[in-house]
Amino acid sequence: MRLKAKMAALAALALIALALGAAIGSVGISPRVLLSVLGSKLFGAALPEDIGEITVSILWTIRFPRAVCAFLIGAALAASGTVMQSVLRNPLASSYTLGVSSGASLFAAVVIVTGFTLPVLERYTLPLFGFLGGLGTVFLAMALAMRFNRNLENQTVILVGMVLSLFVNALLTLVTALSAERLSQLVFWQMGSFSALTWADAGLVLPILLLSLAALLRYSRELDLMTFGEEQALSAGVDLRRVKFLLIAVSALLTGTAVSLAGVIGFVDLIAPHVVRRIFGSNHRAVVPMSALFGGAFMVLADLLARTVLAPQELPVGAVTSLIGAPFFAYVYFRRERR
Amino acid sequence: MLSLRDVRAGYGEREVLHGITIDFATGQNYCILGPNGCGKTTLIRAIAALIPSSGEVLLDGAPIRRMKRREIAARIAVMSQVTQVYFPFTVYDTVMLGRYQHMSGKLFGRPSSEDRDMVERCLQSVRLDALRDRRIDELSGGQRQRVFLAQALAQDPEVILLDEPTNHLDVRHQVELIDYLHRWSADRRHAVIGVLHDINLALRLTENAVFMKDGRIERAGAFDEIADAAFLRDVYETDIAGYMRDSFEKWRNVR
Repeated sequence: MRLKAKMAALAALALIALALGAAIGSVGISPRVLLSVLGSKLFGAALPEDIGEITVSILWTIRFPRAVCAFLIGAALAASGTVMQSVLRNPLASSYTLGVSSGASLFAAVVIVTGFTLPVLERYTLPLFGFLGGLGTVFLAMALAMRFNRNLENQTVILVGMVLSLFVNALLTLVTALSAERLSQLVFWQMGSFSALTWADAGLVLPILLLSLAALLRYSRELDLMTFGEEQALSAGVDLRRVKFLLIAVSALLTGTAVSLAGVIGFVDLIAPHVVRRIFGSNHRAVVPMSALFGGAFMVLADLLARTVLAPQELPVGAVTSLIGAPFFAYVYFRRERR
Repeated sequence: MLSLRDVRAGYGEREVLHGITIDFATGQNYCILGPNGCGKTTLIRAIAALIPSSGEVLLDGAPIRRMKRREIAARIAVMSQVTQVYFPFTVYDTVMLGRYQHMSGKLFGRPSSEDRDMVERCLQSVRLDALRDRRIDELSGGQRQRVFLAQALAQDPEVILLDEPTNHLDVRHQVELIDYLHRWSADRRHAVIGVLHDINLALRLTENAVFMKDGRIERAGAFDEIADAAFLRDVYETDIAGYMRDSFEKWRNVR
């Protein structure tokens, strides 16, 4: 299949995933109703009389925003993972490896425990601090790594990131253990969920995602070169230190935003780039947007499973992605290794 | 002219190059020779500014450390042994990446017709045009090395620095690579400065030899004039000349 046909196919799959995410639940909704409500809300089309207000409300205030948020956050995590893998030239690298997720979780946990709210920004306090925590941790990791190794070599960055990540996780455990009142809220948040997200959250993620994707596409050729190794990239003319710093910051921004809104959700950032590279090759001009599409669709379906498998009880989506993701990743990775 | 003035470089606390001063004339090939650990590879990396160094590396009098990466890449390419390919690009895409510094000024850096022509020429000159759509992880070692040669050529540099690119290649591919670079540099506008383990292979590229030992240059000049058996024994700590003569005797009767 040609590249463009494959891209169109993946985009269609993503749309289908979104539709399923909106249609399936305790109240089943037919495709006709789905399209009618969309048409009415987006384009002001008249709503057929047999569609009740409750249905509209379920779709428009619960299902759609949740599916869209799951999609955007999945896309953000997948794009972030793609960058980390290529920049660090390690198929197992992710924002988790570098401590971005831990940092974001810690800052967000402190906000939850203290009940601190910024004036004016109010409900954005949590995502903002999550993002700052993620970005802060990765910059700290890179600053420390630079002390050991001026060229910011990958092994050093990964090792420092892992050590820092463990340290920050320990702090997070302490914060969680010492806050008896909010223990369950914290634990549940850390497991990952889209249940509380609204259109406003989608509105927060969307511009960050689009700007980040644009930046990543702008640096797609640098990403291509970096996968061949740092010296290869340098000798081809890449301003390595600057570009690497910038790409890791964008990646941290994506993960920090995702974690602070939806908690820690693993494996999407590992799986999406792997699957996409198998189908679309290695060129980042295709890999970055396609990973985002795949990650988004995967997350919508994982969330669908999380809320329907044991309904009315809801599973943490992070557990679902890991339950599917871990064996799937092992299969993909080791099949490649064996070849 | 590529000039080094008291260049020192190393890894962490350990200094490997202890003040290298030498001139590489424009359009001349050079081979850098010496035993393992003498600093050959470090010298190549310091010239290309792949590692931090002190002292000066001057390209036509201009210090390389003040040049932008893209300016350096427009004049110097490095070809080394790429052993592990994590993400499989196609042959064509890999060679096109050599055009990076020609494209990076433009937004989203689309290849121009000039870039595409250059890549075509490079693919043809290393006889890879039939494999252009193959993934590089599916190629043999010799084919893959040709891909990276084509990538370095696509960069359109004045100087190609070789860092033992023939490791793991069989004799035929080693000789083909060196002969190709010999032809490429014959016009005196291009030059190759190479670290090659195999002295015979190095001398097939050029007579200009630079002998290194313990991070210093021992002798530099035409091989015939500077290398005698005693000197080679001193540098390599073994009787190289005797070994070569023995080998030659074994080949004398091969028809």
